[in-house]
Amino acid sequence: MAAEWDSGSEAAPAGDWPSAAASPVKGNAALPEGSDAGASASGSSEAKVDDGNIQEAESSLREGLSLNYEEARALLGRLEYQRGNVEAALRVFDGIDLQAAIQRFQPSLSEKPLSKRSNKLRSDSSNSGSQHAASLVLEAIYLKSMSLQKLGKAMEAAKQCKSILDAVESIFQCGIPGVMVEQKLQETVSRSVELLPELWKQAGAYQEALASYRRALLSQWNLDDECCTRIQKRFAVFLLYGGVEASPPSLASQTEGSFVPRNNLEEAILLLMILLKKWFLGKTHWDPSVMEHLTFALSLCGQTSVLAKHLEEVLPGIYPRTERWYTLALCYFAASHNEAARNLLKKSLNKNESPNDIMALLLAAKICSSSYLFASEGVDYARKAVNAESSDGHLKSAALHLLGNCLAKKSKVASSDHQRSLLQTEALKSLNEAISLDHHNPELIFDMGIEYAEQRNLHAALKCAKELIDATGGSISKGWRLLSLVLSAQQRYSEAEVVTDAALDETAKWEQGPLLRIRAKLKVVQSLPMEAIEAYRALLALVQAQRKAYGSTKNGAEEDGEKVSELEVWQGLANLYSSLSYWRDAEICLQKAKALKTYSATTLHAEGNIHEVREKIQDALAAYFNALSTEVEHVPSKVSIGALLSKKGPKYLPVARCFLSDALRLEPTNRMAWFYLGKVHKYDGRLADAADCFQAASMLEDTDPVESFRSL
Amino acid sequence: MPNDALPQPIHSAKDALDALACILGGALPGAVAAAEDPAAALLNDPDVASAVTGRLRGAGSGAGNDGLCRWLYDAFRANVPELQLAVLRFVPTLAGVYMCRAVSRKPLAGFEAVLLALYAHAAAQRGAGQAETVSLPNLANPSPYHDAKVPPKGKPADLDVAVLSPPLEPHGTMRATRRARIVGAVLELYHGKLAHMPLSSKMDFCEFCVAWAGTQSKLDSADKPRLPPSQDAAAAGAEKWRRVPLPWELFQPVVRIVAHCLLGPTRSDELKAQAARAAECLYWRAAETVDAPALLATRSLVRLSQMVEEPIPEPSFPSGAIENMAELEAMKANILSTKN
Repeated sequence: MAAEWDSGSEAAPAGDWPSAAASPVKGNAALPEGSDAGASASGSSEAKVDDGNIQEAESSLREGLSLNYEEARALLGRLEYQRGNVEAALRVFDGIDLQAAIQRFQPSLSEKPLSKRSNKLRSDSSNSGSQHAASLVLEAIYLKSMSLQKLGKAMEAAKQCKSILDAVESIFQCGIPGVMVEQKLQETVSRSVELLPELWKQAGAYQEALASYRRALLSQWNLDDECCTRIQKRFAVFLLYGGVEASPPSLASQTEGSFVPRNNLEEAILLLMILLKKWFLGKTHWDPSVMEHLTFALSLCGQTSVLAKHLEEVLPGIYPRTERWYTLALCYFAASHNEAARNLLKKSLNKNESPNDIMALLLAAKICSSSYLFASEGVDYARKAVNAESSDGHLKSAALHLLGNCLAKKSKVASSDHQRSLLQTEALKSLNEAISLDHHNPELIFDMGIEYAEQRNLHAALKCAKELIDATGGSISKGWRLLSLVLSAQQRYSEAEVVTDAALDETAKWEQGPLLRIRAKLKVVQSLPMEAIEAYRALLALVQAQRKAYGSTKNGAEEDGEKVSELEVWQGLANLYSSLSYWRDAEICLQKAKALKTYSATTLHAEGNIHEVREKIQDALAAYFNALSTEVEHVPSKVSIGALLSKKGPKYLPVARCFLSDALRLEPTNRMAWFYLGKVHKYDGRLADAADCFQAASMLEDTDPVESFRSL
Repeated sequence: MPNDALPQPIHSAKDALDALACILGGALPGAVAAAEDPAAALLNDPDVASAVTGRLRGAGSGAGNDGLCRWLYDAFRANVPELQLAVLRFVPTLAGVYMCRAVSRKPLAGFEAVLLALYAHAAAQRGAGQAETVSLPNLANPSPYHDAKVPPKGKPADLDVAVLSPPLEPHGTMRATRRARIVGAVLELYHGKLAHMPLSSKMDFCEFCVAWAGTQSKLDSADKPRLPPSQDAAAAGAEKWRRVPLPWELFQPVVRIVAHCLLGPTRSDELKAQAARAAECLYWRAAETVDAPALLATRSLVRLSQMVEEPIPEPSFPSGAIENMAELEAMKANILSTKN
């Protein structure tokens, strides 16, 4: 025993002491007892112990007047702890009986307050004396807990630490009063409150950790802002990543209208938001990790527009502005506010900011690639991104992929055939380069397949579609549909049906809509009207069941593009019936369609079609024009008008030609438009032109899918 | 489950242990077979874990007649919570191997039966048609942790409700287009029990994440200093786990689990390093497709992995030089002699 004590003292030169170098003056200034000069002998001697005046303590100890057994041990243990002799300290602390000490302090410290207001400690000398003694003993237990933790005994440490809080609660039954508590005591309490959950965590007792975090934050410990902030942050982190299924806090005392979190994530988000607000109010320093935790939590539940609000509130000077713009753009893009995202990136990619930031360039290109209007801008961004990446850069293939997509999009709105074919060639070149860098990227294979299909290179498109099924194990629904449509374009209808059936097998009931639609159209094109009607009926049953199940409100689970609307089904049926000359049935279908949407270009076109087949040319024309006025760029109506006018005599030929050319500008692969344009040329005597058009129409007829590839 | 090889049904953890001993043959260590708490042994014993994961990773595993899959299926369906934990412990390997092989469309009826059983359990736990939602707090309303400045008059401010996990439709078979959702839901189930899972299970998960993301080569070729390559690269000759499609329904639970491994209350530096690597691989995967929510989530994880955790404050002591050391020593001796 003695040997250990000796070794302890040897190993403790003055320089090792944590605060030995600090000036004693500072120590004095920090303590409120400085003015307590007139207090009783015992009170002042203990106050000076706190002052660091060990000499004084020693003398009182010798006299045996003021320090009892517990306090003496506390003092000595602290010395050992300070020296780093954790084990020795522990041995000294072990002799302290906290319960006994509490019972001694209790009557003097927590005399029941007479009035509600005076929940304070009386500041007379005897009180401050016993408060000081309490402080000494509680600190000893706190140091004991720290010592145990340092020795790897987290569970014991946690139990000791918990006993401090229990003791404090039983001493101060009404919470710690804000004033009149000795600073040292308050510090010990705050430290213990902060320490306890960490100890439980280290001991693997997660439920206790959770409870002690809540106890720390919901009870009255009179914590300062910084301490409270640290606890809140650690609690939020624990809730977010702890992997513990926590029961929500039970709060009977909450006022009405208050927010009570129901689960871990809600509680964590609440705490993080409170932390951010504290910072806005200047109560704490900036902690970048808080924003990162909040970003993580909110983007997981898809609430990036809420995240954007919080980011916008961050004062300037915290994030570099280009980074802030980029992050905001990500938030807005994720929330489908593409326009806002694009504008922010435009600022960020300005030549005076950071025009070569690869991540911002990629995001900008991605946003632009979804819009005809901005495809051209997207091409510029993507080009820059390609150039910014070295040949083996991480994101070279991503940049090339986006370049290909933007070029393809741009080609759709090209002003001339020549330009269009140039853009298409370039788009394919980019996609091919991208694929040579990244063979297994399903998105890339899909986009490539679509591009080949739209350019009617069906052989290559088929290869892509098959590769896509292999790369994804058939897990992507649009891959199946691409394969089926490509086969239908090659007029391999029975194979397309086999693929569609296989796809139906791999698809859950609710998501079968688009496949059933393809199946119905495959039947129509094979002139199997009865089977087609059967297929449409199955589709209709599904669509109506979906409407009933989800009501009118859209369910977040479904992607909008993946759903067939009831309107489409009635329109398809109307066309089918009218092609069979079942006028009455066709009319009924149209009525149903109109009931769902009064002004729909497709419905009006179908109506015109019925009139036309029944030789009511004026009515048909009127319907087609109505369709055009609801949707200016409705290609089928333009073709139908062109076709009707071309039959009305030479006077109308220029107008017909106009409509048909317009249709072809919008949809260069529309074979009917080419066919009627050929007729116009023939009537006008331009036989060579007519032959070209007919040839185009005939080629396209051999490569026409049952449904536009763009619908994918 | 198309298998008739297993003799007796599993009703308890002891049954499960015996049945496993049968399946693994001599591979089960004797100490485990005689364990007092069989469920805990199944959950935590490293030898059991390596024997089972070794089998699951082995060539030809997961077929309809795979006895081990049958065992996992029966053990989970025995409805003993501790035993269910022991089965969930193998979810990372199960899901990891399954997703990698499913892409090549091999018959994996054994894996699928186990995954569907887990999925059905998750769906039943959730309740039919129930989504897992999160109400976002509005600080204008008071909460247990803060007071609102202006007390809300009458109606509290509206809350945004976010869907964390959409409802779980019942699925009796594994359809390819629902594969990601089913495995994702199983991972959500695993996520809920993370606190009980042993370290090696989480290590396995992070390893498969790296493979799933398929961006490892990009990471290694980068010029900045990286973490040391994981051990799986050393095991040459083993099946190469491949990149798999990671739609959001799978990506999201994956990221949540990686986040736990990275920032949760473990003290294993090895796990943290592996998780940091997984997070980085997932980040590059998200960057490839410019997937905004995935980019935001994984970028935050990568950044957080590079931040230093704030330590718990050390006790502070009043300053002041210590004089009279000799006398203090005497005092110490005095106290100790009187009491010890």
